[in-house]
Order: sequence, then C-alpha cells, then structure tokens
Amino acid sequence: MPLLHPFPPQPSPKPASQGLRSSVAGAAVGAVAIMALAAMGRADTPTAAIAALIVVLIGVGLGYWTARTSDAVQKADVGAPTPFGFPSVDAQSYAMALELAPNPLMLVSGFEPDDLAGRRISFANAAARELLRIPREGALLVAAMRDPVVLEAIDESLFGGLDRIISYETGGPQNRFWRMWTKPIPTTANGGRLAMVLLRDETDTRLNERMRADFLANASHELRTPLASLAGFIETLRGHAKDDVAARERFLAIMSRQAERMARLIDDLLSLSRIELNEHIRPQGACDLALTTADVADALAPQLAAKSVKVQLSLPDRGAAMIVGDRDQIVQVIQNLLDNAIKYSLAGGVVRVEVAYGLTLDIAAASRPDSPRLAAAMGGRMSLQTPTWVGAERYAALRVFDEGPGVAREHLPRLTERFYRVEGQKSSGTGLGLAIVKHIVNRHRGGFFVESALGVGAGFCVYFPMIPTAPVAGAPTDPRLSEKPRHAFLDDPVPQDSRGEIKLS
Amino acid sequence: MSTNEHTLKFYGEELDQLKAEVARMGGLAEAQVRDSIEAVAQRDVALAEAVVGRDHRLDQLDREIEKKAIRLIALRQPVAQDLRRTVGALKMASILERTGDYAKNIAKRGLVVADGEPMTPLTRSIERMGRLVAGRLKDALDAYTSGELDQAMAVWQNDEEVDEHYNSLFRELLTYMIGDPRMINSCAHLLFVAKNLERIGDYATNIAEIVHYEVTGEEIMGDRPKWTGLDKSAGADSEI
Repeated sequence: MPLLHPFPPQPSPKPASQGLRSSVAGAAVGAVAIMALAAMGRADTPTAAIAALIVVLIGVGLGYWTARTSDAVQKADVGAPTPFGFPSVDAQSYAMALELAPNPLMLVSGFEPDDLAGRRISFANAAARELLRIPREGALLVAAMRDPVVLEAIDESLFGGLDRIISYETGGPQNRFWRMWTKPIPTTANGGRLAMVLLRDETDTRLNERMRADFLANASHELRTPLASLAGFIETLRGHAKDDVAARERFLAIMSRQAERMARLIDDLLSLSRIELNEHIRPQGACDLALTTADVADALAPQLAAKSVKVQLSLPDRGAAMIVGDRDQIVQVIQNLLDNAIKYSLAGGVVRVEVAYGLTLDIAAASRPDSPRLAAAMGGRMSLQTPTWVGAERYAALRVFDEGPGVAREHLPRLTERFYRVEGQKSSGTGLGLAIVKHIVNRHRGGFFVESALGVGAGFCVYFPMIPTAPVAGAPTDPRLSEKPRHAFLDDPVPQDSRGEIKLS
Repeated sequence: MSTNEHTLKFYGEELDQLKAEVARMGGLAEAQVRDSIEAVAQRDVALAEAVVGRDHRLDQLDREIEKKAIRLIALRQPVAQDLRRTVGALKMASILERTGDYAKNIAKRGLVVADGEPMTPLTRSIERMGRLVAGRLKDALDAYTSGELDQAMAVWQNDEEVDEHYNSLFRELLTYMIGDPRMINSCAHLLFVAKNLERIGDYATNIAEIVHYEVTGEEIMGDRPKWTGLDKSAGADSEI
C-alpha cells in the first residue's frame, strides 16, 4: 500500500520539549488514517457516516499523494488546486479528519508489557473524549477502559503486533454494546509502541436482536390466554349456543373485550420496545410537567366518571415545572400512573395528583409526611429507578396517591418487572405499564419510587431533572405556555420547612 | 535518580502505576461478577468453570498491589493525598479480591444449580438483582478511576434497592422451598448467591467511601437514607 507512507518528513508542529508522546502521536497520524479507513471499510453494515468518512479519507489521501508527486505544492498552499483539481491536504487535515470521525478513535502508546501506567491514550478524538470522559491526550488507558478483554486485545496489538476485533458491553443501567478494532502502528520512535483503537456502537443492532427474541417469547406467552378464550367461545357459538340469542350476545361481548385486551397488549409491547431502543439516548425537548399532567387528567374524565373516582390536582403555575423531556413519553408516564391509580381505586375514592418543582435530589427522593407508607405498620418503600446521572441541580416531581388496597412489601421490588402481577389481584392491565414508566424515567435520568401500605393505598412518585435556567421567552416548545406572562419561579427559594416538607404552590 | 526532579517524576509514576493496577483489578473483578451472574442465569457450566479458574488472577494482583503500596510507603513516605491514594489502593485491592471471592462462590453454586431442574422465575430474579449490583460496582469503580465525588456519593446513597431486592428474593425462595421440598437444595444455593450479591453491593458502597476519603480526606458524615430502617421500629420484618 503506497498510501501507507504519504508523509514527507516535515517539522513537528509542537516544540520538542513536549516529549515523546506528542511526537509519537504526530508521526503516526497518517498511518492511523489508513488503518481507520481499512477497519471502517471492513464493517459489515457501514453507516452513512462511516461511508462519508471513508470518502473523505480517500479523497484526502489521494489529494495528498497527488500533491506530493507533483512536488509543486508547499505546506502553505493548502487549498490551492492540484493538477487533478483537488485541494491539497497536510497532516493537520488528516488529524482533523480523525478528530471529526463519528466513531471513537484512539491512539494508545506503551513501552513495556509490565508497565501498566505507561499505557496512555496519546490521542483521543472528539467522539472518544465524549464517550470516555478523557482529555485529548495523556489519559491512563486503564482509567478509561478497564474491561479485561479490551485490555488484552490492546496489549496484543501493542506488544504482539496483532490485529484484533472484539465485542464488549459496558454494563450498567444504560448498557451499551461496542465492537472494538485494534491494530498495531509501526513506529520507530524511541522504543515506544503504538496501536490504533477504534470503537463502534452496536447497541442498536444488539438490542434489536434481543428485543425481537423477547417480543416473540413474551407476546406468544401472553397472547395465548386471550386467544384460547376466544377459540373456546367460537367453538361454543358454533355448537350448542348457536341459536341462543342471549348467550350469543354475552359471549360476543366477552370476545370483544378479549380482542381489545390483545390489541392493548401488542400496543404496550411495541411501545416498550421502542422506548428501550432509545434508552441510551438522552431526550432533548422541553416539557411542562404540570401542564402535561393537567392535559392527561382532562382526557381521563370519562374513565373517572365511569368509576365515580375523583382526581384531586394540585399543580404549580404553567411554565414553573419545566423538565428536560420528550413530551410524548412524559404523557405516557403520567397516563400509566393515573390509569393504575384509577384502576385500583374503590368506587367513590379520591386520587391525589401533585406536581412539585425546584427540588433538590434529596428532597425529590424523600417521602412526604402524608405518604401511605407512614400511615401503617407494614408500609414499605422501594426505589424502582434511581437516577443514573446526578448532575442536575433541581428536579420536578409528580406524585400520584390512591386509596386502593395498597401493595404488600414483598411485591414492591418486582412491580416494574414485565408481566408481573400481584397475586390475587385481578387486573385488566397488560402488566407492562410500570415497566414502561421505569424505562422512560431511566432514559430521562430521573427517579421513580413507590410507597405503599396494605389497606391504606399506594403512592407512586417520578422525578425528572429540570431545565437548568429560568425559562426565557420563546424557549418553551409548547405554544400554550406563552399565553400568560411567566415569572422566574426557578429563582425563588424552595419553600420548605425544617423537616424537608415541600409546600406545593 | 541523581536530580530531585527525576526523583519526583519517578514517585508520581509509581503512584500512577498503583492506580492503574487497581483499575485493572477492578475491571477483572467486574467481569468476574458479571460472568458469574450470567453463568447462574444461563446455566452455563463452562462459563462458571472459567470464573472459578480466573480467580487466582485477582489474588495475585492483590498481593502485587499490596507489595507495591508497602514499598511506596516505606521508601517515599507519602503524605497528604499521596498517602490517602496509597492507602486507598491497599484497601481497594483487598475489597476487590474479596469481591472476586464472592463471584467465584456464585459461580461454584451456579454449577450445582445447573445440575438441578431449571427454575426460570427464580434465576430471573437473581439476574435482576445481579445486574443491579454489577451496575453499582461499575459506578463505584468509575468514580474511583475518574475521582468524581458526585458519582461516588450517588453510589453511597443508593443501596436500599439492593437490600429490598434481597429481602424480596428471600421471601420468594422460601415460598418455593415450602411449595416443593425437592427444590430445597437448589434454592438454598440461590439464597447464598443472593447473599453474596448483597455483600458485593455493600463493597460498592465501601469503594464509594474510599473515593470520598481519597479526594476530600474526610470520612462521609451522616447516615445513609435507609427508608426500610424507618419501618423497622414500627415492627416490619425488614431485617432478615
């Protein structure tokens, strides 16, 4: 490959005192560009971005090569047309191409196999810095990546001169799957060794595969019951209930309910799959928790009337509880929590819905003095999702309390499990509602907990990071927000007394 | 080592070396925990045996780190944060070594459980708890390698989830054992698996404490928010 040596010996852009690391990195940039190109090109399903990068790199390489052979272009002439009509490219441009590549890409240097602290990341491009939270150069390799499989593969490239391709996962609640390419880079710099490390995110592919398998297993299992019942009724209607009008009407009503249940189940399963697919991507939009809650409560009016259950809302002014969130998903959270509360309420019961804002994490995650847990001896509390990111300063919380039968302690940890139903409770739900809530909350870096006592009721609370600054005119995505002048609620001190109780506006 | 500068540089490198060794050991312990859970959940005998076979690596690393830390203390007499980092590395190594022991124990029990009938709902519960614990261990180690105090505090504050999972699993296992005495053997092993996971969760908390000490020089003050503790006085059976 003649392209492997496209670099003319040129003065290092950095002063020599910056030491070996920079010079090693500089000398190898060109080689890495080609290696990255080869590795990316080998990918089974190259994304558009990778394809674009390859084009850029090929263009860059070709441009440089032509510039060099023609021997007419100096470093200063970047941008001048070459005989072939390409702008010429210098080492800086190669470095920039690597820097801007969408895949995390690193150069790892090392000296001796047993010198662990000597293995440093000599160069990390923007994607790698963002992913591993490391500086551009000089990070300790093991501080950035410590999976033994990863370290072993890098060692084999550094000291064994081997190409390796491995897969690994990061673990944790926002688990991600990665494929990693490592390749040795020939270098003559004083005894140091170099390897290129390229990562590609395969989370989507892997989750898709897993979800398809899960979906099939779950769906076939859960759909079997209503399907068996339908089949039974069809059999009966064909047989001895053929001419019995009253029985036929009754059966058809049951069959219609079963069919609705199946449709709901499929909707929920699909919705859960979609949420899980995006779980590692943080939401971007803004959403008013109070306004959204009011909207959802309005839409539930018919359901409330049918069960003669009342909803008691205490919400702050609009524009106060602005959270970072995907409005559709937040609607889903509120809807599922309210649905549950209404479902488990007895006729004539009251569902209390509160939104509070400007809370610190401690207060958002704390019990309210009127929580059902504290009302009875056997009350329990369980965090169903703890925030995976604690960078937010203020949180807005939604709390939904019902006066239903409550949930026994031992069931609390399993409430968000798919299809988990508390024994002895006959429910028309799909068993997926709280699982959906949990996954949405996780995606939003929020928290979710339940408090309950048998015979007293249950309270579910979700809290989300608020938008850090006070809302400014024009910022909110919801057009209704601008109807009324807003105040700088977020600058107000949080109203609370010494016991940490939050007063709702 | 003729000049002062050279000495200082060498000393800093030694500290880095220590931290690097601990981070690598952490990665290994993390992988052991993850694999041991997977071995139990998937009834994967080969993986369980691999976990058992790899445990000596952790013992070896523990000894090496201890040797290096003691050498560093003896020869360099570190003070202030350097001393805390050295002592922290010592403590981390022994915590990670014990974490590895628990993972090995889980894998061994996985071998026994794989001999019996599959108990899918139970192993699924174990897997859920295991994933939770592995996530906490990861967060704690991330906090250690990055020296981020906030992250360490988040780990330190949130260990109620693991406890509640343990309590719930305990009840579930009892129900199974009462229902079918033939399952007592496997269930008893799973009970120990759950206990081991709970202990690993506690170690994650300890790591968070070490990070806090290393960064600030102070121990974490105040009580952890233990919601279940509040109920205990009211007669609930949270202590098992």
